[in-house]
Amino acid sequence: MPRRRSAKILAPLLGVLMLGTGLSACSSADAPETVRFHLSKPEAIPYFRELIKEYNAANDDVEIVLDSSSNLQAGFLRGNPPDLGLLNYNMEMARFMERGALSDLSDMPEAGRILPEVQDLVTQYASYPGRTSVLPYSVMAASVIYNKQIFKEQGIEVPTTSAELTAACEKLKAAGITPFYGTFKDPWTAAQGWFDYTVGGEVDVADFYKAMNELGTEVGPDSPASFQKDFKEPVSRMKQLIDNYTNADAASKGYGDGNLAFAKGESAMYLQGPWAFGEIAKTAPSLELGTFPLPMTENPEDLEVRVNIDLAAWIPEASRHKDAARKFLSYLFRQDVMDKYNAAQLGYGTTTDAAPATDPRITGMRDYFEAGDFYQGPSKAIPLTIPTENYIQGIALGGDATQALSTLDADWARLALRR
Amino acid sequence: MTATTLTPRPKRKVEKIYYAFLVPSLVLFTLSITLPAIIGIFFSFTNSIGFGDWDFVGLINYVALFSDPAVLASYLFTFGFAAVTVVLVNVLAFLLAVGLTAKIRLKTSLRAVFVIPMVISGIIIAYVFNFLFSNSLPELGQAAGVGWLSESILANPELAWIGVVLVTTWQAIPGTLLIYIAGLLAIPGDVYEAADLDGAGKFAQLVRITLPLVAGYIVINVLLGFKNFLNAYDVIVGLTNGGPGTATRSIPMTIVTGFTGGDYAYQMANAAMFFIIVVAISLLQLRITRGRNAL
Repeated sequence: MPRRRSAKILAPLLGVLMLGTGLSACSSADAPETVRFHLSKPEAIPYFRELIKEYNAANDDVEIVLDSSSNLQAGFLRGNPPDLGLLNYNMEMARFMERGALSDLSDMPEAGRILPEVQDLVTQYASYPGRTSVLPYSVMAASVIYNKQIFKEQGIEVPTTSAELTAACEKLKAAGITPFYGTFKDPWTAAQGWFDYTVGGEVDVADFYKAMNELGTEVGPDSPASFQKDFKEPVSRMKQLIDNYTNADAASKGYGDGNLAFAKGESAMYLQGPWAFGEIAKTAPSLELGTFPLPMTENPEDLEVRVNIDLAAWIPEASRHKDAARKFLSYLFRQDVMDKYNAAQLGYGTTTDAAPATDPRITGMRDYFEAGDFYQGPSKAIPLTIPTENYIQGIALGGDATQALSTLDADWARLALRR
Repeated sequence: MTATTLTPRPKRKVEKIYYAFLVPSLVLFTLSITLPAIIGIFFSFTNSIGFGDWDFVGLINYVALFSDPAVLASYLFTFGFAAVTVVLVNVLAFLLAVGLTAKIRLKTSLRAVFVIPMVISGIIIAYVFNFLFSNSLPELGQAAGVGWLSESILANPELAWIGVVLVTTWQAIPGTLLIYIAGLLAIPGDVYEAADLDGAGKFAQLVRITLPLVAGYIVINVLLGFKNFLNAYDVIVGLTNGGPGTATRSIPMTIVTGFTGGDYAYQMANAAMFFIIVVAISLLQLRITRGRNAL
């Protein structure tokens, strides 16, 4: 019988396969314990590679292995996540935590050093009862980047109200200078700068999403909170700024083009985060740049900067090397190690004992950060499965804003239905 | 099955070596395709995000799927794109094949030139064309004073799909071309000689002789092509990344972005639907090609 025989052949083959996987799972005992360390930020890899080299040399019993390329979702899916993660904290990371995939770190002394308002940013996205699973490591504050020389030449002061901003733009336009450089070929740039700064400057982002999460499937044209109602004003201001004050070819330009053009002084302002400074410096190392929050109202008291947790640490429940990972986490969170990192990457410290930011390019945001006047990017609070950045790009390129925002509402309600 | 075991007939001895050929691929196929597919379909009835805690949610994912305009739009785009591309690819490849099998100079080198796109990876082609569409073409357009060309067509929600169609066509022509050349070479020369004696012109020969005799190849190319274009992914990622807005999001792109965005169960439901549709098309294809071969 062919069938019987095939089973006979299959069984040993399967056995060999299982043996193979079983063997790879346990490594020899006297080799140093391997801790897989996942890092998401490409710009930070050289920095951490050095750090790991030092740590490995000083510790014989452990070997930290840097992993910056494997697919995180697939790793968790297979039950084989990294032992320690230091990643951008976003909705997807929050989802890992919400489903209990990340272990509790509340007993670590490092957890007690985190600034409470920064730890709040974590729980704005999700939480798991009784656990502190994510420890913020570095916060990036982002706002309008401006060319100090152009501002000085045109006699323009940093605007603190919406009307002052319009006046500054008109003045620049009259002098033949493009006020803002737009790079709408890359959808994320439309979301990160244009959408987030305008919405965040006017709407209380955390409260809004709290209401939206509570409404869930009820979000719609008549619900107490909705994208089409609460975001209508800021988004129409965004459209107005884009239509009147950006370069004519913004639709076909991308992030790389923008950095180059801004470095060459082709516009006075640029809506990007501090990560762009390094790229701009490649072209214009001595260009004097500053930052200020985008004014959306007539009251300077309303000014706030956009922040995101650029790096946050966590240890998965499924890790088999939790203790070694915790030890390395403590090392990473040592005050001097953290301060050095944040100074190098233009980040803001997340702990009570962190050194204040001193780079002149980001000190324009320091007062707001220290006073807690910040919000997390509203485009980032929408799960990735909704193509928010693409919708925003559509608006920036001249699409119907009202329609795009009501599509967002519908997507939000549909997602709530199945979660 | 039972019929064959009941009727006694001489046992056909099967060489064991054939099982040795069959089993490894069977095991690999089952482990890497069949099993994950079944697991995926199972999870489409849950609210899983791929790991961690989950619950059964019944058909909710499917209900949400059918009322999701983004999913509907991706199906419309993908099928429209596949239909347009398949026509364009086949018309161009057929005409090229006719030219490249005619008595012309440099035939072999020309064939090599036209087949080159086949050996370049899709994502690289897409990035190169992305640069051409975003920078070179607009500059040409501005220099020539052509209004609609002076802005990247990839930045225009109404026109971006044309860019995707053009690049996919460019990439898909070689494979189709090779099949057509094989088909044209298989037509015996005496048929044309007879047509010449009867006084048929070149055009009449093309329509009355060449086309009917390669009809089987046309069917194969159209159906294979259509199925491949439904899976459009790498070229779109490199060219538009689904944009501007969501104008060029194909079904596979929606599935992958949703999956990596933590929407595992929902996109598994989407993938299951897509699977059923592709199977239906494949069955249709088998049916039609079988009919053709009988001709």
